[in-house]
Amino acid sequence: MKLISTTFLFGALWLGLITVMHGSLNLKWFAPKVVGATAADEKFRIGFLPVTCHLTCPVTDFINQQVEGQSSFEPVRFSGWPELKEAFLSGYTPATFILAPMAMALREQGVPLKIVYLGHRDGSAVMVHKDSQIYRMEDLRGKRIAVPNRYSNQRLLVFRALRNAGMTIKDIEMVEMPPPDMPAALYSKAVDAISSGEPFMGQTEIDGYGRVLWLTKDVWPNFISCVLAVHEDFIKTDRATVQRLVDGIASSGKWIDESMDNRMDAAKFVAKNYYNQHPRLLEFVLSKPPDRVTYTNLALRKPDFEEIEDLAREAGIIGGDVRFEDYTDASFVPEASAMKASAYEGLKGGEVPPRK
Amino acid sequence: MKHFPSIYLPLATAAAFLAIWHSLVRLSGSDLFPTPMEVVTGIRELIEKGLLLKYIVASLFRVSWGFMLAVLVGVPLGLILGWFRPAYQALNPMIQIMRPISPIAWIPVAILWFGIDDTAPIFLIFLASVFPITVSSMAAVQNMQLVYLRAAQNFGVTGMQLFRRVILPAALPQIITGIRIALGIAWLVVVAAEMIAVNSGLGYLIIDARNAGKRYDLVVAGMVMIGLIGLVLDLLIRQLEKFDEVKWGYGQR
Repeated sequence: MKLISTTFLFGALWLGLITVMHGSLNLKWFAPKVVGATAADEKFRIGFLPVTCHLTCPVTDFINQQVEGQSSFEPVRFSGWPELKEAFLSGYTPATFILAPMAMALREQGVPLKIVYLGHRDGSAVMVHKDSQIYRMEDLRGKRIAVPNRYSNQRLLVFRALRNAGMTIKDIEMVEMPPPDMPAALYSKAVDAISSGEPFMGQTEIDGYGRVLWLTKDVWPNFISCVLAVHEDFIKTDRATVQRLVDGIASSGKWIDESMDNRMDAAKFVAKNYYNQHPRLLEFVLSKPPDRVTYTNLALRKPDFEEIEDLAREAGIIGGDVRFEDYTDASFVPEASAMKASAYEGLKGGEVPPRK
Repeated sequence: MKHFPSIYLPLATAAAFLAIWHSLVRLSGSDLFPTPMEVVTGIRELIEKGLLLKYIVASLFRVSWGFMLAVLVGVPLGLILGWFRPAYQALNPMIQIMRPISPIAWIPVAILWFGIDDTAPIFLIFLASVFPITVSSMAAVQNMQLVYLRAAQNFGVTGMQLFRRVILPAALPQIITGIRIALGIAWLVVVAAEMIAVNSGLGYLIIDARNAGKRYDLVVAGMVMIGLIGLVLDLLIRQLEKFDEVKWGYGQR
């Protein structure tokens, strides 16, 4: 049969061709191997999203590459919380940056994870349209506000702000929306207020239609949204690697907070090599004001988590059984006095070197 | 059919569409939604960065593998189900249950089973296209005109001979149509399939552009490229319908 044999022949040729092209263009099959470098599949993977709450993940990877020549882990960027969580559950990413209440809820549901370190402090905001008449929390009565996920700390943050204003969740309408979609939703006034991690809040300010209702530091000082969570098996089998990871995150966090120059450098190389965003966005949220999001003081402290537990119970996302000692493993947290900033000297006005 | 200079009419429609698009964006005063020119600039930027070719290749790679696997599984399965009544009774309800489930619903399962490299999107594309192919092959055998069968039986043709000489040729035109529709569906789900954290592909381009702040020009650029390549794929797969073995099945218009 001419039709069938021709189809098979062309089909096979096409499959071969497209596979080789994909292999050479995207999978780097034919790229020369760097001598002495750890192969990508031997590295462990860490999941992260392109938000400032996870900034220390790419910064640590970049600094490792610049200072030591290679990084011990492979940061894997996700686009949304569900995919990030599922990759962690399947074991594809043995460590991940994740929402604190989500980690607590997963632990409660029997997932063997431990929170080993914080990702950041502060770094969220509630934005409203600049033309709106909303100036206080009370003005949000009857209005629609978007949060990233039911397990997000931004949702708890809104609960807390409501509580401060003497209101309850029944006074507003809350919807879930992926953070990248929020700026457009606010622009088109599909929602009255939005709340997520940066830089999506700063973006509405830069583009001139968003106004800050409040920053997290105004409502919940030392707010934590994301934490570094690790599979328990990973801790059991390779404590040293987990320790090295936490140390790396701690010292790059300290490096970011050391000076505004470092922050601007971080904005440049993370935007270019990891987030694929315009550097202006990260530069803006890392500097206006400088304490909009911070990366020091990341040790695990019980009172912080009890505060989250309290609100999470009110929000109905965790039950009564979560215990700080159960969902965290504070043994990796470095001594504050012994912690040093990374020895990276910054870009010094130069171009961003490509990611390895 | 008379050949009217067929290229002018669609070109005129496209030009009118672009003009309306441009003026609507201008009229609305939106600076988020891009004009056609901004999209062209976005596409040029992608070409200059060398990303466009990479992404197109990545998407075509996943769709090709997912779709070819679907053909290799779906056509034989459909033929068997169409011919053997008990097989049909056993499997058809299951297939009809699985068929309407959107590939998006399979994303969590795909990640849990395959992780997040190329296999998961290939699996999703396979799932999206295997059912239409199976169902159309099955229907092709079931709807075959009985006169072919009776004639063959009168000549004493049975078994494998009957299948190769009569059933397959008779069913082929409808199978090819099913394959053509399935390729459209396979290409349609590329965005959903690449929502998984792969780091290349046209679907990824759209997701990535959403993450990148105000880059809706790249979102639309991704949509335009998916549409154009879909058109090319359809033109290519239509060539199958020109073979003599199946041409008789499509009637003359």
